[in-house]
Amino acid sequence: MKKSIKVFGPGCPKCKTTYNNVLEAIKQTGVEAEVQKIEDIEEMMKYNVLATPVLMIDEVVKVKGRLADVNEIKQLLIH
Amino acid sequence: MESGTSPVNEICPTATQSWVKKGALLVDVREKEEVEQLAYDVPNIVNIPLSEFETRYKELPIDKEIVTVCRAGSRSLRAAGFLVNNGYDPLKVVNMRHGIVRWVQKGFPTKGDTSTILDANTSTGCCNSSNKDESACC
Repeated sequence: MKKSIKVFGPGCPKCKTTYNNVLEAIKQTGVEAEVQKIEDIEEMMKYNVLATPVLMIDEVVKVKGRLADVNEIKQLLIH
Repeated sequence: MESGTSPVNEICPTATQSWVKKGALLVDVREKEEVEQLAYDVPNIVNIPLSEFETRYKELPIDKEIVTVCRAGSRSLRAAGFLVNNGYDPLKVVNMRHGIVRWVQKGFPTKGDTSTILDANTSTGCCNSSNKDESACC
């Protein structure tokens, strides 16, 4: 089943890196996924996002307030 | 009071002064190092960094007027939204727009070194949509 991935962040370097790492992890694992980068603060508030970046996979928060590297995201995608 | 489609009402630093005079609690969500460098100088203030906010927000009184503040107004907006989403009264919880940057520019009381704010001119870090490359908010 196609995964839904959301990366929340106001556009800071860590948020951009997380988003790029997600794209790279998808490329390396071949997992089918739809990725959304969410920078809108009101959208973040709907999801109760506080410290950013936040990585959400299939509506579950997996990483918050820190950078996730490619290997970590790959593990999250395949498990 | 200003409001848009956001669930959180927002006020400016000048209006915040009125709230403070009426006894509102300022909640500064900047990280400790930022507060050590430059702090708001008001009677009722508490520092709960955004990185600790989820575990510590219940320290805040639910029946009191609260103004959330940060450096430029973005992190504190998320914190205010979090409070409202967790049962705090949206009429009593407001966010201060533009943060300590505008507060300093207005000449309102602070403790510490304002040079980093004033030297940075009008930059508001990543909370300013025209300048999203800063990492201060994160």
